[in-house]
Amino acid sequence: MPIKGRRIFCTLVAARGVAFDAGMSYRVARSALEVIVGVALGIGVVAALDVVAPIQGLSVVPLLVVLGLAIRRGRAAAAAAAVLSVLALNFFFIAPRYQLTIADGQNVAALVVFLIAALVVGHVADVSRTRAREAHERADEAAARTREAQMLAAVAGRLLVGGSLAVERRWIEAEVARALAVDAVRIDLAPAPSPRAPESAVRLPLQHGAGWLYVTGPADAERIAEPLARLMDLAVERERIGAQAAEAESARRADVAKTAVLHAISHDLRTPLTAITTAGDALAQPGTSDADRAELVSVVREESHRLARMVSDLLDLSRIEAGAVEPRRDWIDLRDVVARAIAGVRAMHPDAVIAFELPEDLPLVRADAAQLERVFANLLENAVKFSAPGAAVQVRGAASSGRVTVRVVDHGPGIPPGQRAKVFEPFVRLGERRGGAGLGLAISRGFVEANGGRIALQSGPEGGAAFAVSLPLAPSPAPVS
Amino acid sequence: MSAPGPHVLVVDDEPQIVRGLRVVLRNAGYSVEEAGTVREALDALAVRPPDVLVLDLVLPDGSGVDVMRDLRSWSALPVLVLSAVGDEREKVRALDAGADDYVTKPFGADELTARLRALLRRVADGAGAEPLVEAGDVVIDLATRRVTRGGRQVHLTPIEFDLLRVLATHRGKLVTHRQLLRDVWGPAYEDATHYLRVHVAHIRAKLEDDPSAPRLILTEPGVGYRMASPA
Repeated sequence: MPIKGRRIFCTLVAARGVAFDAGMSYRVARSALEVIVGVALGIGVVAALDVVAPIQGLSVVPLLVVLGLAIRRGRAAAAAAAVLSVLALNFFFIAPRYQLTIADGQNVAALVVFLIAALVVGHVADVSRTRAREAHERADEAAARTREAQMLAAVAGRLLVGGSLAVERRWIEAEVARALAVDAVRIDLAPAPSPRAPESAVRLPLQHGAGWLYVTGPADAERIAEPLARLMDLAVERERIGAQAAEAESARRADVAKTAVLHAISHDLRTPLTAITTAGDALAQPGTSDADRAELVSVVREESHRLARMVSDLLDLSRIEAGAVEPRRDWIDLRDVVARAIAGVRAMHPDAVIAFELPEDLPLVRADAAQLERVFANLLENAVKFSAPGAAVQVRGAASSGRVTVRVVDHGPGIPPGQRAKVFEPFVRLGERRGGAGLGLAISRGFVEANGGRIALQSGPEGGAAFAVSLPLAPSPAPVS
Repeated sequence: MSAPGPHVLVVDDEPQIVRGLRVVLRNAGYSVEEAGTVREALDALAVRPPDVLVLDLVLPDGSGVDVMRDLRSWSALPVLVLSAVGDEREKVRALDAGADDYVTKPFGADELTARLRALLRRVADGAGAEPLVEAGDVVIDLATRRVTRGGRQVHLTPIEFDLLRVLATHRGKLVTHRQLLRDVWGPAYEDATHYLRVHVAHIRAKLEDDPSAPRLILTEPGVGYRMASPA
């Protein structure tokens, strides 16, 4: 037995050497190794049982080995094992032993039968192995398809519900990677591919432009490229239609606004116009008394003035909206500007109570004095209009954190929160409609912003309104020597 | 001031317009009372009902339509509406609510006083009471439903006659589409203005010298029709 064992070992080493010398692929080497080990084991078992059973009966053992190898390694391995087993049986167990010659014709027949049986078994086992492998592959394939279909359904759901491609790209990439069972997937919208080191690039056939799918890991990404591209096309199309709808909506709103503007203009211009024509007709009538005439003349003058102001307001507004306001900036003292505005408002409203509370050390700012005077005149006039007779309107000011802020504060009814966002829009009136076309605040905002400032509506301390105009603090001018 | 003229209530919240109107109406012989809000107007109407009301549509505390609705529940006094371009919808609502006529701002003093005169005359004539309405060479006998033109009888279909009757009984007054449709066809037809276009065209073809330049049945675009006042 020890001798037999050593010889088997030698054969095994020799076979291994052949396998490596031939430089076969890993799989072939592995098969060869299994063939040799399997045949050696089979022969070992036969040797162990040789003493209790006739060799012809024991040839079933190497047949099992051939069967096993056929299942594990396929037809070639089975054939090799069959031939090797025949040679080994002959060499070790059939007289004359330890020679590859056979004395007994009966043994020749037995070995031939064995070889044929082994080849047939090997073939049958191989066929069933192939079938099993195919079935397995089909199952894998089906699972992969299912994952892909689920992924496409998920992506479709996400994109069609309203997700934009830009926002959902990361999520889509993760889904695709999961479906393909790869480490990472990257989607890039670019005309030419630019894969990074381990990635392979697959073209996404998009309708508009081109995109690329970069896959890290082995996967058949071609198959999903087409449906994925279609989904992305849909998302792009949906976004485009959405943008169109938004555009149409904003055009419609602009139309509504335009109608409102026309209505406001027609109404507001017509009121002074009607007052003037009526007064003019009355003046032309011979029966009108001198006292009435004086009254009518003042109506004509006041309403002409109002009309002229409305027209210039409209012109200012159109200049502001066209971005054609060009402030003539100079160093100005807001105290002077506010004082002039107050004087103007007092001339029109002699009973107005306006408290000038700007500190003497208010810094100078760079702005257009005439435009800012209009701004404060508008704010003061509004404040006076909404104050109870005798209630004071205060003008306060302070400089802090790089800005000079002047507040016009009234103690009127204030502005309801719902209207605050709209007060700076043209043709929005606060409370009663009397006087003005609701342009004052829109023009004020236009002028303040043209001068680099900001205007804001705040709640007054006692429920009234407070309009805050703030202008950036410019670097101080050279001190006057 | 000699004999006190008709009393007119002017409802308008624009003091500058009222200042001129006051003089115009006084010169035309009216005694003028003024109101600036819906509330003031309803109070003044209740305390001292005027002979005629001049009503602005846009008031600080509501619409002239509100005044009309309240007024018509207890009075038939003539009402002239002041409206501006852009107020068309309110104007039609006020007329549907029973206002008699309108002028559009800016209006001439003569136009305003002429309209007021027409309204007051209609009241003085006891409009609708006469069975015989004469307009130029057309004579409409409301009692016998006969219409003649230049002495010759004109055949009108029942619908055409009913339409003509409504306009004739409100002679000189603007009758809105809605009122015409309601009175002639019934409340279910208030929006069927195309009926009016067709039948008014038929009546004009039968009664007007030149149907394309009507002198008997006048169109108030977008509002209604009126039968011309007696010259």
